[in-house]
Amino acid sequence: MLLMILSCVLLNCSAHVGNRRLDSNDDTEDVSLFDAEEETTNRPRKSKIRHPVASFFHLFFRVSAIVVYLLCELLSSSFITCMVTIILLLSCDFWAVKNVTGRLMVGLRWWNHIDEDGKSHWVFESRKESSQENKTVSEAESRIFWLGLIACPVLWVIFAFSALFSFRVKWLAVVIMGVVLQGANLYGYIRCKVGSRKNLTSMATSYFGKQFLRQNTGDDQTS
Amino acid sequence: MAEAEESPGDPGTASPRPLMRDLKAVGKKFMHVLYPRKSNTLLRDWDLWGPLILCVTLALMLQRDSVDSEKDGGPQFAEVFVIVWFGAVTITLNSKLLGGNISFFQSLCVLGYCILPLTVAMLICRLVLLADPGPVNFMVRLFVVIVMFAWSIVASTAFLADSQPPNRRALAVYPVFLFYFVISWMILTFTPQ
Repeated sequence: MLLMILSCVLLNCSAHVGNRRLDSNDDTEDVSLFDAEEETTNRPRKSKIRHPVASFFHLFFRVSAIVVYLLCELLSSSFITCMVTIILLLSCDFWAVKNVTGRLMVGLRWWNHIDEDGKSHWVFESRKESSQENKTVSEAESRIFWLGLIACPVLWVIFAFSALFSFRVKWLAVVIMGVVLQGANLYGYIRCKVGSRKNLTSMATSYFGKQFLRQNTGDDQTS
Repeated sequence: MAEAEESPGDPGTASPRPLMRDLKAVGKKFMHVLYPRKSNTLLRDWDLWGPLILCVTLALMLQRDSVDSEKDGGPQFAEVFVIVWFGAVTITLNSKLLGGNISFFQSLCVLGYCILPLTVAMLICRLVLLADPGPVNFMVRLFVVIVMFAWSIVASTAFLADSQPPNRRALAVYPVFLFYFVISWMILTFTPQ
């Protein structure tokens, strides 16, 4: 338990330090040893990982929760220990992804706001593309973030079905908790990404509409 | 377990949320449960970390120390979890259907935090059970559980009752009474074998 809190604090500290360290990284990248070729004026800045600690913890909690779930029989004979460990890992992962790694790695955040009348609103925000270079999202981090965010809830859903159909019902509580917590983060970040004005159905319609049109005009040109 | 955030701020900054602030908020809510007053803290800045901690603690303490490894205490652990969360969700749905103007997570937050007195009762009962069993032992535990049960009810109705229309208050409070009664029953009838 102490280990979890320590790692969350470490994550927090590195998050604050990482923002300040950014400027020194940018300075060293400006130096190039050879004459820059014409094609590579676009420096490979975006593929650099800016927040290594955040990226590590983003994946660490999720993957270790899944690993503990799969290896519980081998690791410890006590069901309780495994269950409590998985619950702790899932909670730390939820907090870390919602409050730290999403903001640092892809610049998105979401929360619940209760106003004066007691009405609750869910707010989804995404960071505007500012003119400062060091605030843009790096490709590698974005890929790591979305990969971890999407793959793990899918795995937990698979575990839920397998627990249900193989009648290992005592695990069902933990698995459902995994699905709910990680699914909540996934849903929140997808809504942030899509934006508050459009909703998912209109995005999907416009996307498929474009595909359809492209296919049709392509057919016209070939025939 | 999303938390309510205080200030939207400038989306351009989007700095990570400090851990200390969340921990202090959880501690503050525990204090509010122990000394129930008319205040909005549990409702406005709700979070579900406290209920999770309390639920896990209660489930761990309600384990029987059985040497037998196949009856590993697993089902009882999951049972406590299911009773607490399913019960809280049902009460929330009930109060929403009765026309209450409290949100789903706020109600879960209040019900979860108000399990604190019963968790303290469980701790005391486990300590009392280290002494020799007998009628005195049982009377002490009964007294402690009744006091803590009353405390939980008072704390939760102080927060929840206002959100209901006046003629429906009894209907909304009765399931809360039942919920804490079931948990108190589990605590009172606990015997480590």
